[in-house]
Amino acid sequence: MIKDELARLIKEGYNALGELEFAESTSGYLLYHWSNRNSLAETRIYRSVEDARQIARYDSRGAYRPLKGAPNLPNGWVIEVATIDELKKALDFFYPGAIGTWLGYHAGTVQPVCLRQTLNRQTGMYRVTRRLTDEQARNLVKDACRSDGRCLRTILWGIEDSQPPDFLPSSKCDPSVDQTGQNRAALPFLCLEACNLLVAAARTRMKESSS
Amino acid sequence: MEDLGVTRSSVHGAILIDRNKKGDRIRAPRTARPLACWNLARLRIPFEELGGGIQLTNMPQRWRSSLVLVGHGSTLNPDSSAPTFQHADEIVRRGIFGEVYCSFWKEEPSLREVLRMVESNDVYIVPNFISEGYFTQIVIPRELELEGPLTHRAGKVIKYCEPVGNDPRMVDLLFHRAREVAPNVPPDKTSLLIVGHGTNLNEKSAEAAQSQARAIRKKGVYAEVSEAYMEEPPFIADWAKNTSQPNVIVVPFFIADGLHSYQDIPVLLGMESAPTVAASQQEVFRRNPYHLGGRALYYASAIGTEPLMADVILDTIDRFDRKHLYDSAA
Repeated sequence: MIKDELARLIKEGYNALGELEFAESTSGYLLYHWSNRNSLAETRIYRSVEDARQIARYDSRGAYRPLKGAPNLPNGWVIEVATIDELKKALDFFYPGAIGTWLGYHAGTVQPVCLRQTLNRQTGMYRVTRRLTDEQARNLVKDACRSDGRCLRTILWGIEDSQPPDFLPSSKCDPSVDQTGQNRAALPFLCLEACNLLVAAARTRMKESSS
Repeated sequence: MEDLGVTRSSVHGAILIDRNKKGDRIRAPRTARPLACWNLARLRIPFEELGGGIQLTNMPQRWRSSLVLVGHGSTLNPDSSAPTFQHADEIVRRGIFGEVYCSFWKEEPSLREVLRMVESNDVYIVPNFISEGYFTQIVIPRELELEGPLTHRAGKVIKYCEPVGNDPRMVDLLFHRAREVAPNVPPDKTSLLIVGHGTNLNEKSAEAAQSQARAIRKKGVYAEVSEAYMEEPPFIADWAKNTSQPNVIVVPFFIADGLHSYQDIPVLLGMESAPTVAASQQEVFRRNPYHLGGRALYYASAIGTEPLMADVILDTIDRFDRKHLYDSAA
């Protein structure tokens, strides 16, 4: 069970994921933004798992956050939950599938999918992305997925099959590196395949280059 | 197994209710009951006959199963995925499934990652889409790597259900929504206009709205029932010449109050001169009726935002099991 594995990982000392940090408390678990680790008494308290979904939906200025891995999670809140199951659900609202992906990758049941494979299966309005050149792809990923301002996930896929993402900084491809720069005991936050936002950005790039 | 004394099993239309030998309504206990027995022992009462009151689908517990509700989602509009979350929350509240997840084409969790979250080995995938079409026939099966209605993979049985818009109860929901938005207009002086997306990518997109309009027309309640589309004829923008009655009720046959139903369609209807702000910041429905060209136009919220959609989702799963029960047990 994923929640049991999460409980084990917390016992081993992991206490962070993306911009989040979590800790065991006398009544269960606390979940909060890393910037509030020393100011929890000043934060707003939430006790429902579903609050996590709402907090993760908008940034501090009220703008919609379609990309959950973007480093713009608002701070100033703490979620108190009673059980590991609730903590797992809350983490899945903030970073959907992150724990399951890490556990699956660690167990060898899921593998990275290269960008070319992702683009080659696109149809409809995204079919045009099949024509993205390797150079265009490398430049796009370097810009759209960078950890400083775009996405905190660690990229494990390359442009072509069996190619490592060696065009990226080595830290962006190392699951042991905390992409926030906080050097915490963070659970790896993996990207095993290009997301729809990157595919959409590839389409925009193709449209720009053809006009 | 407890004898529930359920005897009546006719199927009429929409709401599912168990009855005993005396005809009294009973509620099945939440203990495991063989699925085939449960399916035969349910009585459907048309929604209209219940006076529009909300009746909940009585479904057995499926603690060993998970439900993945698939929506389109949006990278621009936070309201797009709201109905999918709303219906998922309602199903969670009823405590039927061991796990309930939402997944989206344009939001997270994506279709590529959602199955990594699922723990149970019996997984129902329900597209929260209004019709069969490009997404239900190409995109969702491709992204989830499905082999058909039933996919056996890595110890899991993945059951791919029909889109919610296929459910026979959608006709009742459309009636309900039309009456709700224009409660006092005489039906014999009213045109009901079902508006859909329509696309040249898949002919089934328009078929869904057509079949709903046909079914409503047959009931003979409204003087006129028509359909119109954004991207294929008859076009929404031609509503004035394609309808004849002094009152016109427009119900978007869409899943969410997204950019189409809040911004594009009001412009096509002439209610707004240009696309305006996002759904959650508007009061488009509070200004009914709109007086345009000597007609009174009533504009409804998208049909997919109707709370009864949670029951439609459960019905969709029930229908899947009736159709594929023996295949999935194999």
